[in-house]
Amino acid sequence: MQNVAMAGARSETEFASLVDALAADPDRREQLTELLREDHPVYDQRGAATTVRMRGWVLLALARAGVSDAALIFVLEELDAGVDAYLVAAAARALRSYPSPNAALAPFAMRALTNIRYHDEPVSFEGYGEYADSSSYTTPVRELLVTLAWLGPHARGVLHEVEALRAQHGGLPKKLLVEVDRAVEAIRGGQADEPDADCCTLPNGLSSTFSWALGSRRGSESIESTVFEDHGGASVTFREFFRGHPSIVVFFYTRCDNPLKCSLTVTKLARLQKLLEAQGLDDQIYTAAITYDPAFDLPARIHAYGQNRGVRMDDRHRMLRATDGVNALRSHFKLGVNFIESLVNRHRIEAYILDAEGRIAASFERIQWDEQQLVDRAIEVLNETSNEKSGGPVPEVSPRPVDAPARGKTASTMLGTLASVGVAFFPKCPICWAGYLSMFGVAGLERIPYYPWLQPLLFAVMLINLASVWLRGRSTGRMSGFYLVSAGAFAIVVSKLGLGLESVAIWGIALTLAGSLLSALNAKGRRLTARGGPA
Amino acid sequence: MSKKSKASKSSKSARKPKGAKKGAAKRPSGRLMSVATNARKAINERVAAIAEAPLAVCESDENLQSMLNVLRSEEEPIEVRLAALQAIQAASFSVVTFESCRSEYIATLRQVATDPDMELRQRVLGILAREKDGFAQRKLLEGLQNPEKALVPPEKALQLLSNDVHAEAYAAAREIVNNPPSDTARREALRLLAADATAAPMFEKLLRDKDEQAEIRQISASALQALKPEKLQEHARAILLDTSEYDDIQATSLTAITQFGDEQAVAEDKTLMRRIDNMKDEASTKIKQSARRFLTKYGQ
Repeated sequence: MQNVAMAGARSETEFASLVDALAADPDRREQLTELLREDHPVYDQRGAATTVRMRGWVLLALARAGVSDAALIFVLEELDAGVDAYLVAAAARALRSYPSPNAALAPFAMRALTNIRYHDEPVSFEGYGEYADSSSYTTPVRELLVTLAWLGPHARGVLHEVEALRAQHGGLPKKLLVEVDRAVEAIRGGQADEPDADCCTLPNGLSSTFSWALGSRRGSESIESTVFEDHGGASVTFREFFRGHPSIVVFFYTRCDNPLKCSLTVTKLARLQKLLEAQGLDDQIYTAAITYDPAFDLPARIHAYGQNRGVRMDDRHRMLRATDGVNALRSHFKLGVNFIESLVNRHRIEAYILDAEGRIAASFERIQWDEQQLVDRAIEVLNETSNEKSGGPVPEVSPRPVDAPARGKTASTMLGTLASVGVAFFPKCPICWAGYLSMFGVAGLERIPYYPWLQPLLFAVMLINLASVWLRGRSTGRMSGFYLVSAGAFAIVVSKLGLGLESVAIWGIALTLAGSLLSALNAKGRRLTARGGPA
Repeated sequence: MSKKSKASKSSKSARKPKGAKKGAAKRPSGRLMSVATNARKAINERVAAIAEAPLAVCESDENLQSMLNVLRSEEEPIEVRLAALQAIQAASFSVVTFESCRSEYIATLRQVATDPDMELRQRVLGILAREKDGFAQRKLLEGLQNPEKALVPPEKALQLLSNDVHAEAYAAAREIVNNPPSDTARREALRLLAADATAAPMFEKLLRDKDEQAEIRQISASALQALKPEKLQEHARAILLDTSEYDDIQATSLTAITQFGDEQAVAEDKTLMRRIDNMKDEASTKIKQSARRFLTKYGQ
């Protein structure tokens, strides 16, 4: 009997025969899923194009044999982040063999349609490794439209997107408009007002995208002495960097040509770092992006790659390459990757949360992860670390309230603005002060002594406000507030020079107030953006 | 008419396809397509019509099919087929409009990739290779492994395969470096291997081999800069201190240290500084210039 585990040394033809045999045998169909794991020996030392042909053939076998819950994640992964026409088309076809069409599947088909529509290449499913070179072919967009039609009313959640693509000039190929209309008709069909019973339930297979290891974490002893070189060329061991605090780890390589994988992963890492920073956790939860391709990804290369994607790089947040190769990491993290020589031929999307002992506490695989979700899980690990340290339940480590610094900044803005008002109205001499007091007397206020030193103090606070608005403007990239406050300060100073321009002070106050308000609003908008809220 | 205006006129007409009428108004696409696809018309006239046709290619399925038929047909004159290829390729730059035509275009290119005409084949494989097309890569690799099946010369195949770092061409390139069918093929194989992280030791050896051609040694220096920059610095220093080295390689080494060297380490390297200082006055003109640049950077 042909054995999947021993499939590594087979030729492509033998591999195709094995896949056909598994698909034809109901007792062994589940083994097809095993062949979709990137780290399976069958993909070792195969080129990227060969890997595509092999995986595509397995997906097509699943399309014939039926996609199980366990295999579903591999199909959805291809739709979620695939850019190869053959694999996306095969995945779209395979999805139609899943026994329970579900509303949760529709966004994957729609995302694939959006990603692939400008790379709609001809593909042939006639035989193993065939490339379409005649008029009898299908394309990924065609397969995806048929899949949306198969989903029918379950795809109602994405109907408006399909219709928008239909209406848009060049949104979808003209010659596929019949298929588009058929899909739209199928989606609209059925009971229009009947809510989809399983609209919000993820299929079982999807649950394996996230795993949470509680009480059963593998130790990190095997890689504690693994040496990394970081983006700046500094050496650090696994133990030195990953122990003592939770960490978020993602994998990437700079030569990855799928923009929805490594490039997006590293860009999202940068966004995740900003979330940690906004919650005041950037010094308690470390982050690392580790390359799959350490032989090529030298420090200068990973530094540039991170910098171009906005990654924060310092002692707590590093881009890393393992100097002795990636094998130890591969086996510790059970990475979903394979190679031809030192070059990656295929990898999955993967992110990990490590606990303070450097053990894997949680992993996110295959489907695009959500930055906030990853941060939330890391906070749970951080809380768990605090519990362990104290030997019992301790209050949870909460992220620093986002509004606390905001309140402090608002208070400083108000103080600075009041100082400007104070400078503008400060009396020139004790006689003027008496005049003010006579007015206060009318209002029934108590007597207030004249303090000549108060004016320079108010002036200093006004300058501090000016500097603070400048700093805030520089950090938000919006300097309009600073310009207004500067003009206001200038007007107030001019009004105090005894040139008979006292009335200018009112303009100065108005400009200062407007500038301070604008600066505070800009800063608030930026904080909301960093948290994923409205800009 | 002056000579200048004659020359100008002749240069303008050279850019226009033969048969294009001077000052002719834009012809309607239907008429263009009927001329372009009419086998009874003169070749020049057809080529001129095709050159005006790119925007018409995707206007209708009929137009696309006609143009693809011209490209596909071995009965058509090669000039007309090449013009058709160029017109469709030009149309493909309008990504959104061309999307409807794309799948049939790629399928046709795969058909034409094995055409008997070498120039057409080479151009088509070039277009497919830039698209990182698996079919083209497989054909090119087959040709490298079995020269009887080769659709293009090995150096061209290697050049096209280098469009995709994942094209699994390293093994074939290494084989060509060891048993080169020609100097050009060997050179292209080395260029391709410059992205192979495991090839650094080979490039170190080639860089230090005084019996190698200067161009091969320069390719090796460039590859080392990408793969193991610290090794290039080591070898560049040794080459500069070696008085029996060739000028070309010394100039390359000097540039490598000037541009990419560790400023502090280089500035403190008295032996190297003395050597470059001598070069400034005694070496060939090319090296003198590089030496002056080096000394300007490192403060002497």
